[in-house]
Amino acid sequence: MSEKKKSLGRVFTNGVLSENPTFRLVLGTCPTLAVTTSAINGLGMGLAATFVLLGSNIVVSALRKVIPDKVRIPSFIVIICTFVTIVQLLMHAYLPSLYESLGIFIPLIVVNCIILARAEAFASKNGVVASAVDGLGMGAGFTLALTLIGCIRELLGNGSIFGVSLLGTAYKPMLLTILPAGGFLVYGLLLGIINAIGNKRKGAAK
Amino acid sequence: MKATFHGGVHPAHSSKRPTQSLAIRDFVSDTVQIVMNMNIGAPSAPCVQKGDHVKLGQVIGEPVGFLGIPVHASVSGEVVSVEPLPYLSEAPAMCVTIRNDFKDEWVELHPLGNVETVDPALIIPAIKNAGICGMGGASFPTHVKLSIKPEQKCDYILANGAECETHLTADHRLMLENSTRIVDGLRAVMRAVGCPQGVIGIEDNKPDAIEAMEKACQGREGVRVQVLKTKYPQGGEKQLIEAITGRQVPTGGLPIGCGCIVVNVGTCAAIADALIDGKPLVERITTVTGAVRNPANLRLRIGTNVDDIIGECGGYSVEPGKIFFGGAMTGLCLPHANLPIAKSTNGIVVMTREQAKTDEEDPCIRCGKCGEVCPIGLKPLKIKLAADADNIEAAKKLHVMDCTLCGSCSFICPARRHLTAAFKVAKQKIAAQAKKGGSGK
Amino acid sequence: MSLILSSAPHIKTKDTTQRLMLNVIISLLPCVAAGVYYFGLQAAIVLAVAVVSAVAAELVWQVLAHQKVRVYDLSAAVTGLLIGLIVPPAAPWWMVAIGSVFAIIVVKQLFGGIGDNFLNPALTARAVLLASWPAYMTAGYNVGRFDAVTGATPLLSGTASTMDLLMGNVTGAIGETCKIAILLGLVYLLVTRTIRWEIPVFTVASAVVLGAILGMDPVSVVLSGGLLFGAVYMATDYVTSPMTRGGQIIYAIGIGALIVLIRKFGDYPEGVTYAILLMNICAPLLDRMIPEKVYGYKKAKKEAKA
Repeated sequence: MSEKKKSLGRVFTNGVLSENPTFRLVLGTCPTLAVTTSAINGLGMGLAATFVLLGSNIVVSALRKVIPDKVRIPSFIVIICTFVTIVQLLMHAYLPSLYESLGIFIPLIVVNCIILARAEAFASKNGVVASAVDGLGMGAGFTLALTLIGCIRELLGNGSIFGVSLLGTAYKPMLLTILPAGGFLVYGLLLGIINAIGNKRKGAAK
Repeated sequence: MKATFHGGVHPAHSSKRPTQSLAIRDFVSDTVQIVMNMNIGAPSAPCVQKGDHVKLGQVIGEPVGFLGIPVHASVSGEVVSVEPLPYLSEAPAMCVTIRNDFKDEWVELHPLGNVETVDPALIIPAIKNAGICGMGGASFPTHVKLSIKPEQKCDYILANGAECETHLTADHRLMLENSTRIVDGLRAVMRAVGCPQGVIGIEDNKPDAIEAMEKACQGREGVRVQVLKTKYPQGGEKQLIEAITGRQVPTGGLPIGCGCIVVNVGTCAAIADALIDGKPLVERITTVTGAVRNPANLRLRIGTNVDDIIGECGGYSVEPGKIFFGGAMTGLCLPHANLPIAKSTNGIVVMTREQAKTDEEDPCIRCGKCGEVCPIGLKPLKIKLAADADNIEAAKKLHVMDCTLCGSCSFICPARRHLTAAFKVAKQKIAAQAKKGGSGK
Repeated sequence: MSLILSSAPHIKTKDTTQRLMLNVIISLLPCVAAGVYYFGLQAAIVLAVAVVSAVAAELVWQVLAHQKVRVYDLSAAVTGLLIGLIVPPAAPWWMVAIGSVFAIIVVKQLFGGIGDNFLNPALTARAVLLASWPAYMTAGYNVGRFDAVTGATPLLSGTASTMDLLMGNVTGAIGETCKIAILLGLVYLLVTRTIRWEIPVFTVASAVVLGAILGMDPVSVVLSGGLLFGAVYMATDYVTSPMTRGGQIIYAIGIGALIVLIRKFGDYPEGVTYAILLMNICAPLLDRMIPEKVYGYKKAKKEAKA
């Protein structure tokens, strides 16, 4: 079915590591920068996006032979919208405080390019199981990245991680890191570090 | 009013002090090695053989091609060898070596007489036959420069006495000691091309030369002295034209494209000698300075060996680190001192080991000083980036071909970046490419 | 006898990168002296911490990144000194050190080191410190001779006399208050041809003119806050200012105008930092905007038109 018969394990790790949407593909940077002011926000956004990715990948894959090519993008969007609406309603009902802090970025998952990209690049060409694993892998990669950025920004800007104070009262929080400018700075520095490690590995492999 | 151009630098003019008050004196060595390709264009063809006896001023190399000029024996005596010898160019150059018999027997000379009365049509052929090429450093055959097309009009003949280069005082001394001949030569050129105006441009750091030349110009038709600001490269052809006439040589073109011809004052004097005395170009004034015991302005026979010249100047004062022909801004380095001087050798400068140290390149700090001083208005730091990346197309777009390699940007660069050197290479690459493309068609 | 062969020119100006940086340091000495005189030992400590941490950061980076060690070019020392001079005299040492390290590592080295940073490192550090620890950056002025004085900087209160503003007998960042010292530095920089007059003059002139239009007192526009210090030392940074004369003039006018606009309409009392940083970003574009005048092309253009 798939162009290259990748093992499902490789499909999963592909999303987490080698094609990590945040650090390698640099997709979905808007929520990445906007919501990662704390670890919990990053995790919440990551999980919400993972749920949508999983659902949309499965449905798109299942319907891939039915959807006419000409209207595939609108169809994908409708499917994605459905799942986003589900997430939004669930979060509003069961996680009202997280829902409040993520705010507009929940409905904006619809236009998160990771989700449409996976639907177009993977789910519409692969089987249901592989697409589900891809959705999970990409979602996990996205969640990990957002949580990592959230942890760093929360630690520097507030002295805590997941609300647990780690640095004590002597630490004077660096407010910049939880401001938008700090989001760019932390994201940029992480991208740089990860690229540097990647380049070094490539060099070592050669 | 002192005329000048945009940009430019002020390199050490104190370097001129050791020789500027030293009168020109003669030095004749016991052998001369005369190179056949002293001018731009094809090398001349030797027309003497080993063992021949030649007279002073006898033709020993026949002109070849459109840009060819004859080469003359600069001493009388016996031809010791006619063979290719190592020279500044990569390949060995054909040389005629003559042992001087110190008799200075001239060949039969054909003077044309007074420059004001001679038939103008005879002037340019006489200049060619005298083997005269640009003596300010460029070695372009003068008769070609003066042979303008009928549709071209020449408004100005500019005699270049700026001598903006460091160290050199040869033109300065010549203007002091031989001012009448310079004006004679200038008048001859004006009459040959039918040009009404002759201007002698001199930097204001040579007030005595300005005075001498002004005196020499008195009562002569259409000639005057223009005082110029002391600034490098004031004596660059393009800058001299801009300073004196306010015109600009069109890009890629010759000065005649804006109605000007520039002739070095040394060349003017040589032209006057050729017409009035009928003497071909066999000697020139050269400044010898730097790390030599007795710096001097010498009247040297073409082909005199640099080792002999330095010996005449008392030898090296300390161990030499670098020797170059010309001034410090554009001078051409010699691999060793056992080489002869050519018609365009206006100076021999010896640098100490300490002075000759080359600086390591530091990163560009974007101070923009290179762009400020560039007399052409280029952005050297950008061209350098393109050249370093071997991006010839980008360098071309940044007008590297308009660069005159004056060296101002390299001089001023606080990061000691090798700008001029990189542009020289880029220009050569582009020229080679163009040649390839041309022959491919 | 072996001779060195090299391409012309064979002589170079005495000014090296190191010499130019040293000129800047020398020109800053009056500001340093005034700062220490008015704010006492605390100011001296801040300056020392800023310089040492900047130089150390550069050294460590260059060693770890296996680059040629170039701290001797003094550019890091200049950055450090500038940071020390634009923070309050009672700024905590760790904050100053973070500012210096940020300036050197993030702003300068990560973008390629000397010559490749697109923002002024010292000013970016100040912006980062201001956003991170606003409490420490907007207070801590009342030390040294101002121990007993309470109240805001004159930019906020507008109470100081012109003479006090000139001499620096007011509260403010360590190096920014004494305008006489800054002017002395400016004269030194101009005499040694380290900088050109266009940027400082046009920055101040543009601020005065726009300020006058908006009904601000020209004397207080020039003499209060960091305008003069920014115009002389920050806006003139080689790397982050335009290279062409035309570009420099537009850049300077932009800085002056932005300062006045931020002071008049912005939320911040002082706008020098942001004005210069914003114009830093424009510098490469300004250079492109200025048409180049290359020798020998004038006539060709006319012919093309005709």
